[in-house]
Amino acid sequence: QGTSVAFGSFQHDSTLPIEVTSDQLSVAQETGKAIFSGNVLVGQGELKLSAGTVEVIYAEDTEEIARLMASGGVTMTNGNEAVEAQSADYDLKSATVTLTGDVILTQGPNAISGERLVIDLETGNGQIDGRVRTILQPGSK
Amino acid sequence: MARYDNSHSRFVAYAKVILPLASLAILATLFLFSRRPDTTSTIPYARVDIETLAREQRLDGASFATVLTDGGELSLNADRVRPDLSNNDVINGSTISGELALPDGTTVTLTANDGVIDGPGRVAELSGSVVVRTSSAYSIKTDRIAALLDASKIESPGAVDAEGPAGTIHAGSMEISEVGVDKQYQLVFKNGVRLIYQP
Repeated sequence: QGTSVAFGSFQHDSTLPIEVTSDQLSVAQETGKAIFSGNVLVGQGELKLSAGTVEVIYAEDTEEIARLMASGGVTMTNGNEAVEAQSADYDLKSATVTLTGDVILTQGPNAISGERLVIDLETGNGQIDGRVRTILQPGSK
Repeated sequence: MARYDNSHSRFVAYAKVILPLASLAILATLFLFSRRPDTTSTIPYARVDIETLAREQRLDGASFATVLTDGGELSLNADRVRPDLSNNDVINGSTISGELALPDGTTVTLTANDGVIDGPGRVAELSGSVVVRTSSAYSIKTDRIAALLDASKIESPGAVDAEGPAGTIHAGSMEISEVGVDKQYQLVFKNGVRLIYQP
C-alpha cells in the first residue's frame, strides 16, 4: 500500500544550475561515464543531496545529463524536510527523485518510513510505498 | 719645328704634339682616380647573434616520439629544443604540442609553452598555460603537468580547471591513468572537486 505525502512546501525548479562537490571525480575515457566519489554533495537551489557516490548518466542523443544515480547512503533535504535512503535516482528530465532502500522521511516532528519513495519535484508531493510506517508526534503545542 | 706658311699646317703641327700628350694624361687618370669601392654595404650580414648560435646547440621544429610499455604512443613536438646546460640527457623545449594515443583507442592532446624532456628520468614536464584535451571532450587547463615516458600516465599536481560534458570543473589535481583491473583508462580529478552544470 502506498501513502502520498507532500514533500517540500514549494515546487522545486529543476532547471537551476546543479553544483556537485566531492573528493574525487573519475571519467572513464572510453565510455565517458563520470562517477563522483567521496562524500558527494549535490546542490540545486534548496535541494541538497549527499551521498557516497554519484554517477552521471547522459542522455543518449544530446550531451546533457539525463540522470544522477546516487548510492552509498543518501540524505536529501529540501527546506526543513529530510529523506534518508540507501540510493536515489534523480531524473532531471522528468524532475522526479526515486529513493529506494529503507527510506525514512522526516517532516518536522513526523516521520514516515517505507521501502521506496518517489517525489515529483514539480508538484512537490511524493508517493511512498512498501511497509509504510508512520510515526506522528501528537502536537504538544 | 719647321716653319709653315699657312695656318692649317701650323695647326696640324701643334695638334700632332698636343693631342698625344692629352691622351696620355687622360689615360693616366684611369688608374689614379678610381671610385672608392664601398665594401661595407655590398655584403649582406645576417643579424643573428653569432656567439649564442655558436655556444648553444639548438634544434628547430623538433619532434619526439615514444611507444610506452602498455602500448600507448606519446609524441611531443617543440618549435625550439635545446639540451639542458647542466645535463645533456635533459632537453628543454618551447611551444610544445603533443599527443598521447592510449591503448584503448582514446587520445589525449597536450599543448604548453615550454617543456623539459628528461630521458633518464622517464618523464616529460610541460609548464606554462598547459591545455589537455581528451577524446572524451574534456578540455583541462592547468599550469604544469608531468607525462611519463614509460607508461600512459599524465598527471597534474596543481589545481586544474576543466570544461566538459559534465559541466565546468575545478579540482585540486588531475590524473589520466590506467585504473582498475580491466585496464580502463580514467581521467580522475582529485583533492576536492567542484562541478557546476547548467541543465
